[in-house]
Amino acid sequence: MSAGPAGRDARRHDVIVVGAGMAGSLLAKQLGDQGWRVLVLEAGTRTLDTWPGYLDALDTYYAATAKVPNAPYRPNAAAPSPSVLDLEGLPAGGYRAHGYFLQNGPLPYSSDYLRATGGTAMHWMGIVPRMHPEDFAVRRRYGYGRDWPIGYDDLEPHYRAAERALGVAGDADEQREGAGLPFPPGYVYPMRAIPRSYLDAVLAHRLDGAAVRERPDGPDTVLRVVATPHARNGTPDPRYDGGRGHRPAGAAGLPNYGERCVGNASCVPICPVQAKYNPLKTQATWSPRVTLVDRAVVSRVLTAANGRVRGVEYQRYDDPATPAHTTRTAEADIVVLAAHAIENARLLLVSRLAGSSGQVGRNLMDHPMLLTWGLMDQQVGPFRGPGSTSGLESFRTGPARGTRAPFRIEIGNWGWSWPAGSPGTDVARLLGIDADTGRPRGRGVFGKKLRESLGRDLGRQFSLQFAFEQEAESRNRVTIDPSHRDPLGNPRPVLTYDLSEHVKRGMAAARTVSDQIFRLLGAEDRTGYAPGPLAPGWFRHDGRDYVFNGAGHGGGTHIMGTTARTSVVDQWQRCWDHPNLYAVGCGSMPSMGTSNPSLTMAALALRSGERIHRDLRELKGPATVGRQQGGRP
Amino acid sequence: MNGRHAAPTPDPGHGTDDGSDPGKAPEDHAGFVAVSVRLTGFDEFDLRATGLVRLYHDTTLDQVGRPAVGRFLADLDAAGGDPDRITDETSRDIARAITHLWYLGVWPQLARSTHAALRRERANTAFVVSPEAYTEGLVWRTFHGHPPGAKPPGHGTWAAAPPGAPVRPVARRTEGAA
Ligand SMILES: Cc1cc2nc3c(=O)[nH]c(=O)nc-3n(C[C@H](O)[C@H](O)[C@H](O)COP(=O)(O)OP(=O)(O)OC[C@H]3O[C@@H](n4cnc5c(N)ncnc54)[C@H](O)[C@@H]3O)c2cc1C
Ligand code: SF4
Repeated sequence: MSAGPAGRDARRHDVIVVGAGMAGSLLAKQLGDQGWRVLVLEAGTRTLDTWPGYLDALDTYYAATAKVPNAPYRPNAAAPSPSVLDLEGLPAGGYRAHGYFLQNGPLPYSSDYLRATGGTAMHWMGIVPRMHPEDFAVRRRYGYGRDWPIGYDDLEPHYRAAERALGVAGDADEQREGAGLPFPPGYVYPMRAIPRSYLDAVLAHRLDGAAVRERPDGPDTVLRVVATPHARNGTPDPRYDGGRGHRPAGAAGLPNYGERCVGNASCVPICPVQAKYNPLKTQATWSPRVTLVDRAVVSRVLTAANGRVRGVEYQRYDDPATPAHTTRTAEADIVVLAAHAIENARLLLVSRLAGSSGQVGRNLMDHPMLLTWGLMDQQVGPFRGPGSTSGLESFRTGPARGTRAPFRIEIGNWGWSWPAGSPGTDVARLLGIDADTGRPRGRGVFGKKLRESLGRDLGRQFSLQFAFEQEAESRNRVTIDPSHRDPLGNPRPVLTYDLSEHVKRGMAAARTVSDQIFRLLGAEDRTGYAPGPLAPGWFRHDGRDYVFNGAGHGGGTHIMGTTARTSVVDQWQRCWDHPNLYAVGCGSMPSMGTSNPSLTMAALALRSGERIHRDLRELKGPATVGRQQGGRP
Repeated sequence: MNGRHAAPTPDPGHGTDDGSDPGKAPEDHAGFVAVSVRLTGFDEFDLRATGLVRLYHDTTLDQVGRPAVGRFLADLDAAGGDPDRITDETSRDIARAITHLWYLGVWPQLARSTHAALRRERANTAFVVSPEAYTEGLVWRTFHGHPPGAKPPGHGTWAAAPPGAPVRPVARRTEGAA
């Protein structure tokens, strides 16, 4: 800024990062290490980064009746989070939305996020495949959605940097051969692959090399079970980094603790030993130049002259149960929004910024999920290990994308817990307990009969989780309505969401593929899709019923592109309209392919960090970088 | 509503002594354990090892009241100790609830008719009675599993065949080899 870098205000920071989730934490780390003074403002509380606080969350999870992703984390009136429990399906189809989101679309946006220090990745699964090179150019190659202004090759070094930052365990050779991903020659992940589950081995034995068809007259697709890369601690690979190896990050809040993944099988919603990466681990390595202020809800971005922004307004509260707060401002040369796709869009809309393309809040995407489930003819050891350790990758790429959405098939290690609420629902059913208390109950079985019946069937449960690419569509969007506010007075997100024909055709193809897989496996298919309270995502397509779920992968809301006319941010995630305002996160992604998005998001954030570093040097000159100042307010 | 319910306080004066468990040593809820063995199909050792006998006993009394528990025990007795032969629907629903509690650590909603018949002066809601109740749920043991988030079996254990499964995967059983 023209006032000069030395700063009129001793508390002035070089960069403000809004949100201490994955994107914000990685970026703050990088900029702090480069000598910049970073203020991180976090809406949620900071209770998880002490060990007692973390254990309290674990207890809350144990005691929760519905073990949904947000179950371990205390509700916060000042910074509300959406919950998957907010949605209720209606008896004849359709849905009702309660809670933080207002929803008015034909179908519900069915994903949550978490507003607490560490963000949504406190309850993520930690699966981190790269996007495929062709995913960056779906419009050019296949005629749908939107293209990236950059390609796989531009991002490749940052993928490696992200894999280092998250401590990824995987087998690069298998990803190259089985998923078609290019890696530099000789590349190995920081850690060796996480062992695949026994269930994976059973499926591989019965499926590898077999062919299925999406249409009777269509081409064969050959199946192959491929192990998945994970952001969770396994065994470090001594070959990593030219033989320097990798030192895994332990748990935040408990020095010298932190194990390899020991198979707690609760990655979503909480990993008891913090074997799974979470952003608190990155925060523990921040330089002293990074300052975190929690319970600070950013309410608005403040503008200066000539399109630049000067800082943010935020609401500081003490008690998450009561909405009492004081309003403050903070200033910096650069502001980075890293508050999650939906919150970033909300903040831009409230601040009336970045709007020249008309795209803010539009192109909301997720990975809609279709689940199929059944019983194997033998015990397969469900409810063990990480939620998914392998997938079927053959439907992610290729010309079929021109007619239907591509999909990735995750092999679900946790029985029917996601599709059917097992094992609780199995116990209730066998006891004759109906969820509707008004209905007469079944007789129920007791004693040895009950025990044996559960033992026989639960141990044979497995599921397939189909994740579809959802293309950018401007009609799917986040808006705000000033008449609906949260307890601090901030407008709540209003979501309009639907699935395109392209996605629905993908689901139809997946169902056909699933049928053939179950036949090849010799498994009993128990999949059923009916409307009802637990099926807000029910719809009918071409005479068949479907129920989809959300994946938690919200994106697209501040979409990246090649011109200010058609997109919100440029290839650096910098707002076209405001040269010192960045919006980082999955919201920038023009397409999400079939990969869980956070690795790509992390790579993008690290790439933006390089650009921000250059911006700051241009603004302040290399000599004035506050490396030696400590930067504490 | 915090979705989390403290352990119910036992009726004053009953403490660990439970007169409704006829003919069993009162100090360790032997009667409740004996009934629970019949309901769950797990033996006394397994049930006591959970450390939850007292909490479950007290929860049951607290939820349905002493008279209903008494009638349930009498009905079970009349059925020759076989819960499957209990005919009274209220008693049968109590049998369901106690079994549900043991398997999942969750006191379930009662049937609306049971709730009304018992004139319960509390909300008919399901709840996990304590964090340990979840981790000690019997359901996980029926298939040699463990509760998600607790009792982790160790790195890589998920790759091993579960008990009763072939160590190396075999071809599907139906329609010959795949
Ligand atoms: C159940 C589930 C499983 C998932 N599994 C995977 C997976 O296996 N692999 C994968 O790649 N991805 C997964 N994801 C997605 C992943 O969690 C997200 O992509 C990722 O966490 C997004 O990071 P973020 O930093 O953009 O946002 P968040 O992690 O949501 O962080 C945003 C932060 O900003 C804060 N904030 C919000 N509003 C404000 C405000 N107004 N002022 C100040 N601070 C604010 C929030 O409190 C939060 O700390 C999963 C998601 C869910 C829900
Ligand atoms: S399987 Fe268990 S130990 Fe491993 S990452 Fe998931 S929760 Fe953590």
